[in-house]
Amino acid sequence: MTARSISNNAVKPARKKGFFRTLGKQWQLMIMSVPMLLYVLLFNYAPLWGWVTAFQDYQAKKGMFGSPWVGLDNFKWLFGNNDFLLSIRNTLAMSLINLVFGTVSAVLLAVLLNEVRNKTFKRSVQTITYLPHFLSMVIVVNMAQNLFSSNGAINDLLLGVGLVKEPVFFLGKGEYFWWLVGVINVWKEVGWGTIIYIAAMTSIDPSLYEAAAIDGAGRFQRILHVTLPGIKSTFMVLLIMNIGHLLEAGFEIQYLMRNGLVMKYSDTIDVFVMIYSFGGSRPHYAYGVAAGMFKSIVGIILLLGANRIAKLLDEETLI
Amino acid sequence: MTTAAIKNTGIKKRRDIVFPIVNTCILILLCFTTLYPVLNTVAYSFNDGLDAVKGGIGLWPRVWSTESYASLMRDPAIYKAFWISFSKTILTTFLNLFWTGMLAYALSRREYVLRRFITLVLVFTMYINAGLIPNYLLISKTLGLKNTYWVYIIPTMFSCFNMIVIRTYIAGLPDALVESARIDGAGDLRSYFQIILPLCLPVMATVALFVAVGAWNSWFDTYLYNGSKKDLYSMQYLLKMKLATTQNQASNAANATADALAAAQKSKTTPVTVRAAITVVSAVPILIVYPFLQRYFVTGMALGSVKG
Amino acid sequence: MRKILAALLVLAMVLALVPAVMAEAPAPITVTVFKGDPGDQPTEDNKMYKKIADELGITFEIEFLAGDLNQTINLKIEDDKQPDLFDGGNSAEIIEAADVLIDYMEYISEEKTPNIWRHLHDTNVKLDQLLTEDGKLYIIPNYGVTYNRNIVSYNGPSFFLQKKVIEFNEYKVPKTINEYFDLIERYIAANPNADDGTPYTGFAILCEDWRRFCLINPVQHLMGRPNDGEVIVDVHDPEYATWTFVDKDYAKPYYKKLNEEFHKGLISPDTFVMNFEQYKNELANGHILGMFDQAWDFGEATSALQNEKRYPETFLPMPLLYEASDLEGIAMPSENWDLSEHYINAGVINRDRGFGIAKTADDPERLVQLVDTLLSDEWQIALQWGIEGEDWFTDENGRMNMTKEQYEQRSDSEWVRANKADAIFTSAPKKAGTMDNGNSWSPDLQPEIRDANLSDYDKALYEKLGIKQIEELFSEPIELAPYGEAWQIDKGPIDTDYQKWLQLQVEWLPKIISGSEADFDANWAAFTAEMAPYSEIYANFMHEEILKQVYPERYQ
Repeated sequence: MTARSISNNAVKPARKKGFFRTLGKQWQLMIMSVPMLLYVLLFNYAPLWGWVTAFQDYQAKKGMFGSPWVGLDNFKWLFGNNDFLLSIRNTLAMSLINLVFGTVSAVLLAVLLNEVRNKTFKRSVQTITYLPHFLSMVIVVNMAQNLFSSNGAINDLLLGVGLVKEPVFFLGKGEYFWWLVGVINVWKEVGWGTIIYIAAMTSIDPSLYEAAAIDGAGRFQRILHVTLPGIKSTFMVLLIMNIGHLLEAGFEIQYLMRNGLVMKYSDTIDVFVMIYSFGGSRPHYAYGVAAGMFKSIVGIILLLGANRIAKLLDEETLI
Repeated sequence: MTTAAIKNTGIKKRRDIVFPIVNTCILILLCFTTLYPVLNTVAYSFNDGLDAVKGGIGLWPRVWSTESYASLMRDPAIYKAFWISFSKTILTTFLNLFWTGMLAYALSRREYVLRRFITLVLVFTMYINAGLIPNYLLISKTLGLKNTYWVYIIPTMFSCFNMIVIRTYIAGLPDALVESARIDGAGDLRSYFQIILPLCLPVMATVALFVAVGAWNSWFDTYLYNGSKKDLYSMQYLLKMKLATTQNQASNAANATADALAAAQKSKTTPVTVRAAITVVSAVPILIVYPFLQRYFVTGMALGSVKG
Repeated sequence: MRKILAALLVLAMVLALVPAVMAEAPAPITVTVFKGDPGDQPTEDNKMYKKIADELGITFEIEFLAGDLNQTINLKIEDDKQPDLFDGGNSAEIIEAADVLIDYMEYISEEKTPNIWRHLHDTNVKLDQLLTEDGKLYIIPNYGVTYNRNIVSYNGPSFFLQKKVIEFNEYKVPKTINEYFDLIERYIAANPNADDGTPYTGFAILCEDWRRFCLINPVQHLMGRPNDGEVIVDVHDPEYATWTFVDKDYAKPYYKKLNEEFHKGLISPDTFVMNFEQYKNELANGHILGMFDQAWDFGEATSALQNEKRYPETFLPMPLLYEASDLEGIAMPSENWDLSEHYINAGVINRDRGFGIAKTADDPERLVQLVDTLLSDEWQIALQWGIEGEDWFTDENGRMNMTKEQYEQRSDSEWVRANKADAIFTSAPKKAGTMDNGNSWSPDLQPEIRDANLSDYDKALYEKLGIKQIEELFSEPIELAPYGEAWQIDKGPIDTDYQKWLQLQVEWLPKIISGSEADFDANWAAFTAEMAPYSEIYANFMHEEILKQVYPERYQ
């Protein structure tokens, strides 16, 4: 015990000296990285003083410096509110669906595209599939609502094939809501999400494919042993980042698609905040800021947890 | 040739053909489902406004009209706004790639002693959000960027997500490349710009696309900081305003009794067609630039040759 | 030459009316303006703004709303300097609460600002009601201040039916909710499908977002009250007893009726999930026979139908009531409740809506003078009607009139951009009613112009119905209650409870309407039980606010 602490003491100064010496040697890396460090400290961290609002009864007239302090009241209100707790459930459900289906579909499309030999065809498909990314959510939701309504194309199809006898009330049943949002998101973003994986595939050494072919590997084995491992680190890093975003399930699509019949399933944290924090004529900013703070902190915890698990599994990590 | 042999090669051949055919079919089907809403939007944008209120337009306009586009183009402000948007997109993209790329390289060097600390600080920025008002006060009051062109550039120079994407790509490159440069006596700056950066073209093109699309599509910065400076309107802001104005004509009438109702009744354009036209107008420039970037990340580069 | 003379004459008159401005020659200044709704920037050479710049020395730098209104206003309040003319759209309460506006009362006097003085004293304005609790006037209302004779114009809430259904009924307009649904049922029995083969929707209920009023509001009208928003007020009670109505026993017959009609197939389940776009689609295709809505809400669908000359499928408003038998055994809000039709209120003033002047403005006094000048007869004619000879003419009877062309160009947004000062006009105080010479202040309400722009179909229909104008389908407007219309009251202080109260209705009413008939009573009981605590908070708050309006002296 004592020996250890002594040795520790003995080592520390030397280590510190070594640290600065190394840092001095790494001045070029510092030039490349420190400006942006200062940049985010100014643009992302400095405004965090605004979080004090979460502990205030914020009034525009008095501003952030004059509004009365209320301690944890805003948090108590949020977590004592059933609708808020419900909105956490809905947020988690929808972002999990988005995460799983969004990732799987993007990787799948990237792999399929990677197997296309004809370059013109590959590029055309890639271009066409990413187009819906540029349609506004309003347009997309409008089309989806027409498609899924009682007399829409989907119900016509289901009735025509004989799968159902009555039209399915897709838009008015809470149970379907999460999945509809998932389907629409995948459809809108699959092409866009694929770009990053396609780019990652360009770094795969072509000789690996040649070697695999010589070893007699079939197409699926090549995908399994060359393509997928080639994008694994990108996949892992994106996965870790997205796990940190689990409390962000979006706002616009849910707000556009919500109605009285599905409210219990449609309202995400952001929708809740929109209605109760900003909806009225006297906005309750503090609720919004408190909810935002909650999301930030949980996000960071989730991120660090996911990163730790990845490290334990010896996979690519974010940090 | 025995029948068995024929059969055998037949199976082998079929296996090689089946996958491409199935794959092609799947991709074509996917193209149809993603292309339909796009073409539908184009059809709406070329349809007569009042007729479009009835809905039910498919892939071709029912009553042809270019009035929605004309209503957008008639305002000379749109041309000025185009240049503002264009220039800010180019500048933002360039600055973003410059800083983000360097940073990604620095943070990919395992020997860098500040690596973990800086990474942590940067990564957290993706999850923390101070809220609108403090950010607004910082940019408008503390930094005095309100009512300036620079508010489009300075606050958008960095994105952690893009940095991670580039860093991951660099990490996937063979370490030997940098090491060999090191042995030649190159510093980190030189090895990044001379060796790593050229190898990163695919991922740089991807990030350039992300940044450019973001910068091109943003209207919020104009809304927050330059709403009272007509000369600094970005195109997206102006287009959004056109749509909001069209939509407003009807609901305006809540106050105005008959006046505004009369106005809404005769206007030649309606929100549904204006929205479609705006979508097309904003997407076309991106589609024009896209193939030039796409070359890099779809076709990829022959890494082997660099290595050799 | 004559034009120049006329301009000089107008200029002279303006200067004569505004001694303060004459004293110091109007040095040119630029005034920053924020508008609480979206709009088009005027053209550089806009006729009316040029006139203002030439004659009053004022040019405007206008910012229109682009994002969320509340958010934008709050950011403007955080700024060091607010827009000189600050219009908060439908959230002006936030600006008033933030204490950034000047108090008009400090600047208004009979000598210095004669036009504003007359505006607030010789009209239907009750100045006390415009003042805040501490006696300040931050905003002069932008609409509803009536001079001389009020011209009734209908553009508000009502039940509607396609005009061809009225033809089918031999031009008898239903008076009660039972007659109304009975007629729709008979019509559908005779004609189940629209021309394009789609089955008719008998009755549509739009519930999307803030348009939930189509679902929530009808009961007060069935009970014989004009639009008070979400409460019923006993105006004959000196204490103005106030109740929410949507969860009361007398609302039950209406939703019971809807429940029955739902199961008869008149109301489609899709009605609860459709968005505004789809609603307009259906209306514009003539698929919907009837609905409750406000006339201004579906103008786009009406113009689409008119555009194709499908006049019989446009909509006729009808003020429906309960039948006495519907309410048998049900307690009314108070004894001797008046169950006669009152859909239209007289002379509603658009309180708390319009320009406030920022304290940070360089010269607030001059801005008040600007408001006063623009309220003079000459400028009001210029702003509302335009320039004589260019935008309107005096007809052979000596009345102000417009040719069809002159009238129609006013709805061409390009023309408006170049010729009208709407961004300023719509938020500034203005004259409504009639001029001293009997002409209407608003060209849209000038009888000659209205008649000339009515379609032949409507003319014939009106003749069969025995009316000249659509307003005649309604009773005479009733006298405005001393508190105005209750929906104008700022619900800010109870916002979160109010939002929850609204959400409960949007959640429950569709469930009640589409639920099985056997479950109706159970659903209704569950609904009212959940509503009760919030309804109490809301009704009490509204009652208090109404009393503050009626008896301000009690609260001083």
